[in-house]
Amino acid sequence: MTISGYSRDFFLVIGLVGLAGVTAAQEEALSVISAASAQRAEGLIIARCSVCHSADLITQQRLPRTRWEATVGKMEHWGAEISKDETDLLVRYLSARYHPGAPDQLPPLDSEFRKAELLTQEPVAESQLKGVPARGAGIFEHNCQACHGAMAIGGVGPKLVKTPILKHEDLFTETVLHGRGAMPGWGSVLSPQDIADIYAWLVTK
Amino acid sequence: MKGEPTSGSLSRRALLKSVVHGLGVTLALGHVIPRVQAEERDVSKNETDRLIVHVARPLDAETPVQEFASYFTPNSRFFVRSHFGPPPAELLSDPNWRLSVGGMVDRPLTLTLKELKQCEEVAVTAVVQCSGNGRALHRPKVPGVQWRRGAVGNAQWTGVRLRDVLAKAGVQSGAHHAQLQGADRPVVASVPMFTRSIPLEKALHSDTILAYEMNGRPLPLLHGAPLRVITPGWMADSCTKWLTEITMLAEEAKGYYMQTAYRVPTTPVEQGTAVSGQSIPVEAMVVKSLVVSPQEGEIMKAGPVVIQGVAWGGEVKVAKVEVSLDEGKTWETARLVGEDHLYAWRQWQLVWKAKTAGTFTIFCRATDDHGQTQPTASPWNPSGFLWNGWDHVTITVAA
Repeated sequence: MTISGYSRDFFLVIGLVGLAGVTAAQEEALSVISAASAQRAEGLIIARCSVCHSADLITQQRLPRTRWEATVGKMEHWGAEISKDETDLLVRYLSARYHPGAPDQLPPLDSEFRKAELLTQEPVAESQLKGVPARGAGIFEHNCQACHGAMAIGGVGPKLVKTPILKHEDLFTETVLHGRGAMPGWGSVLSPQDIADIYAWLVTK
Repeated sequence: MKGEPTSGSLSRRALLKSVVHGLGVTLALGHVIPRVQAEERDVSKNETDRLIVHVARPLDAETPVQEFASYFTPNSRFFVRSHFGPPPAELLSDPNWRLSVGGMVDRPLTLTLKELKQCEEVAVTAVVQCSGNGRALHRPKVPGVQWRRGAVGNAQWTGVRLRDVLAKAGVQSGAHHAQLQGADRPVVASVPMFTRSIPLEKALHSDTILAYEMNGRPLPLLHGAPLRVITPGWMADSCTKWLTEITMLAEEAKGYYMQTAYRVPTTPVEQGTAVSGQSIPVEAMVVKSLVVSPQEGEIMKAGPVVIQGVAWGGEVKVAKVEVSLDEGKTWETARLVGEDHLYAWRQWQLVWKAKTAGTFTIFCRATDDHGQTQPTASPWNPSGFLWNGWDHVTITVAA
């Protein structure tokens, strides 16, 4: 295939004009994302997008809103478990933070996220929560199964059934809330009750 | 952004003077040590030492350009592109793995690796390059893994000719495409599988092989063990890894990865637009070159500097590599050195006499045997494929 080149100057001029236009609009957009919304969006990225790929695939992009819309729409079409509201929030957040004028170096998502408070306001008193196995099965299927496999027999992530971690509910809850190794924290998506339900289901397997 | 060699978490971990022999000159790389030096290495853990990781899961990682001082890119330093990551190892091991050949054939086949190896063994040295190599250099920026310069490598691939396997099955007259399917699967079943096809002409080309060795070693898991397709001169979207199924079809394969992704517009598109009209699959590579040494940011003394690099032209040999130190106003022709094979890259070098102190940008561009020369910047396309703009590194000559 033959592809002819364009002149370097042409690229530069277009690039700068485009950049200036985008930056002002995007900065405005950023200011309308509340801290709570940003935290919620970051939680969604870690919980929903990371099922298939690590968040670094997202944070290295610098795209205009139209392309973020197309990308999030594609992921929803492919089975990402996000509601309409969540889709809108993600597009707003991503196009505000990862727009074409954003600096190459941004703090990594996870470091900011770890600093953020957990979205669940309830005190973490998991030992007092009583898990419901039947509920746990469904929560597991939607949140954990992609990595830990059907019936938690293992996949990309380790097997969970009949493993030592199930002997320590506090350790299990801690791991789910804050993540461990390659596993992201789920504190923004799963409530302590959800985690207790998953635990209750796992120990019956 | 994540991905610069100097900041990559897997590179430059410790101090060691390491020496490589490339291009007939001894080049001190310095400050680099492999993470693990044990002779017997756990493949899964050490297939990727020193790579620049763009996506941790599934793994997308490129090779630091300094590694290209070696004519053959070592298996452990070869770039990795994953759509879903490797399938479970047990699916690929001897008792379970099979290659099936079906569709429009007279005799559908199911072959073990041993049976496959009854075909004549052939080897080809070929560049394998991700279609998106250089995507990060397109402006406006485009979505996708932000590969820079190192999603490419040169290796010797050993296997059997695809056409010998197809001959056993007997391709029917209406078949025009070979659909290729690997054993890798998406985490979520609603995500389309990575299903590709190549036209019959490429499938029957005597240099198109099913490879089970890479640089004389069994194909590593991350590179498609036990069997992958090698379409020499074509971008790696045709080089299906973990191959398990070949299906002969009348038409191109259906599905996202053939009909939507890995395509480029047939006519130039307006920059920044997301959708385009007519498109064709990404197939042949375009002529391209890299400055391997000196490295970006290097500080050197005045005096002779050996500028060296690699250049490749896909299905066409490299005719010429030129170097410019004045942003392309004047060019000096480099010397082509080392091995010379179609599909492989060609090494080149040029001695530059750095006389004055200051900051200099070294540009290179290659021209192939058909007279195609690298452009300043490649035509913008919505997915950022086929980047082959002039390569450059900026260095400082100390006073």
